[in-house]
Amino acid sequence: MVGLIIDPTASARGATTASTAQSAPPLESLAGLRVGLLENTKRNAAAILDVIGASLQRSDQVGELIPMTKENFALPLPDDLLERLTTECDVVLIGVGDCGSCSASAVADGIMLEARGIPTAVICTEAFEVTATAMAGLKGRPDFPYLRTPHPIANLEGQQIADRGTELAAAIRSHLLAGEGKAA
Amino acid sequence: MSHEETPVLDPEAASAVIEHLYDRGWSDGLPLVPATESALATFLDSTSRDPDEVVARSMALDREATVRDVAVHAIMAGCRPEYFPVVLAAWDALSGERAARGGGFQSTSGPSPLIVVNGPIREELGINARGGVLGPGFRPNATIPRAIGLTVRNSFGIVPHELEQATQGLPGRWQVCIAENEEESPWEPLSVEAGLAPGVSAVSATLLRTMEFVDNRSFTGPEDVLRDFADTIQRTGPWIFRHASVGIIMNPEHAHLFASAGMSKQDVREWLVDASSRTEAQLAAVGKALSGLPGGPYEPDHVHPVFADASLANLPIIVAGSRNAAISMVVRVFSSWSGHSFPVR
Repeated sequence: MVGLIIDPTASARGATTASTAQSAPPLESLAGLRVGLLENTKRNAAAILDVIGASLQRSDQVGELIPMTKENFALPLPDDLLERLTTECDVVLIGVGDCGSCSASAVADGIMLEARGIPTAVICTEAFEVTATAMAGLKGRPDFPYLRTPHPIANLEGQQIADRGTELAAAIRSHLLAGEGKAA
Repeated sequence: MSHEETPVLDPEAASAVIEHLYDRGWSDGLPLVPATESALATFLDSTSRDPDEVVARSMALDREATVRDVAVHAIMAGCRPEYFPVVLAAWDALSGERAARGGGFQSTSGPSPLIVVNGPIREELGINARGGVLGPGFRPNATIPRAIGLTVRNSFGIVPHELEQATQGLPGRWQVCIAENEEESPWEPLSVEAGLAPGVSAVSATLLRTMEFVDNRSFTGPEDVLRDFADTIQRTGPWIFRHASVGIIMNPEHAHLFASAGMSKQDVREWLVDASSRTEAQLAAVGKALSGLPGGPYEPDHVHPVFADASLANLPIIVAGSRNAAISMVVRVFSSWSGHSFPVR
């Protein structure tokens, strides 16, 4: 008789991405690469990405830093921004996922860019690990290696932002050069 | 005396079904009604809409729900078939909300839909507009919003502790459906303000974060009550962006106080918009200074208005509740309201 009860999740499961999304190839060097700094309007996100970019310029002589803003942090990247990131950047740093919707969305954006061959480093705070990982699974990369940083970041100031950015820069450097599986 | 046959009721079988539905992980925590193909057919017969029409969509998750999917959730929520067109109109209305299409249902603030019904369908379905309008005790008020919540859970896959990240959530998250008390309102209904013809059954919806009561029965004139509303509206606790949208579920006694002083809804709106603000220093004292925003830095005595403007979308006023006490609710809108009402069809 149980078979007569309709499963309300059936249509959602049928729509879920079944395929495995492609990861971007690992990098040999960051020197000269154009680095997109994609901030999502969350407090301190742009400031931390700026610190990371400057740090990578010193450590690895990366090329141009290209700041961009995703105005609606909860939604997937709009087509025009996706196009710009894909054509103007060699790697993209994405942050900061520190809320329920924006953490998952940041991971989805990273996976979408990697599928287009752009290596990414996505930063989420540890408080949102479960939802970030759930989104990675939905998008076909359950082991997507986004970077976790302690929560919160919204109330960091001055030197704290510099310190956090410097720590993250080292982790991002290892992540981008090691390829999937060795970072985070 | 009637000799109609009573169907055989098997409480043990019913309990087993309820437990089965819990075990499948489909419940919001309360018992569910099992959805069957025959019930589904009955629900689909209550609307002329195509069962394959997509009525709900999560852009963030790239998931959607059709009329058929929503019918399944309406059955499970405990709706009667005749409620189903209202559930669909509620999804039409929520699909017009940027936050609901986006990541709102995943948010740390755990927002609830606010569903407001206007027009003759209120009486036809028995949707409560009067005493205890916010519940409990009325089947359509309780089950129509629950159908929305089950759609979010089962069609979008937004499940607590996973893709749903509410920090504390709020009481009655999937329970906020009211009818406007048009009969005891001195003003035009919300749906008419939003541009629909009088007498058209309609649903308006947005997401809310919580409600706070304004209990003012000791007033000596309308400005006493307006100042009381403004004091609650401009509280710093909910202040997170430059501007906010706020609704008022106004009991008929407060509404008649304003109307008898010659005030329209728009007059009330403009009074409250002018009166609700905080200075930069007041916001700075609670760590919420706005000087970091474009246009800043600001002098300590710079006045920041709560509202961007005195539009219907930024301050909807809905008359509901009983006339037995002058108690109203200030509704904290999550993000903003579209300002549109959607016909029940």
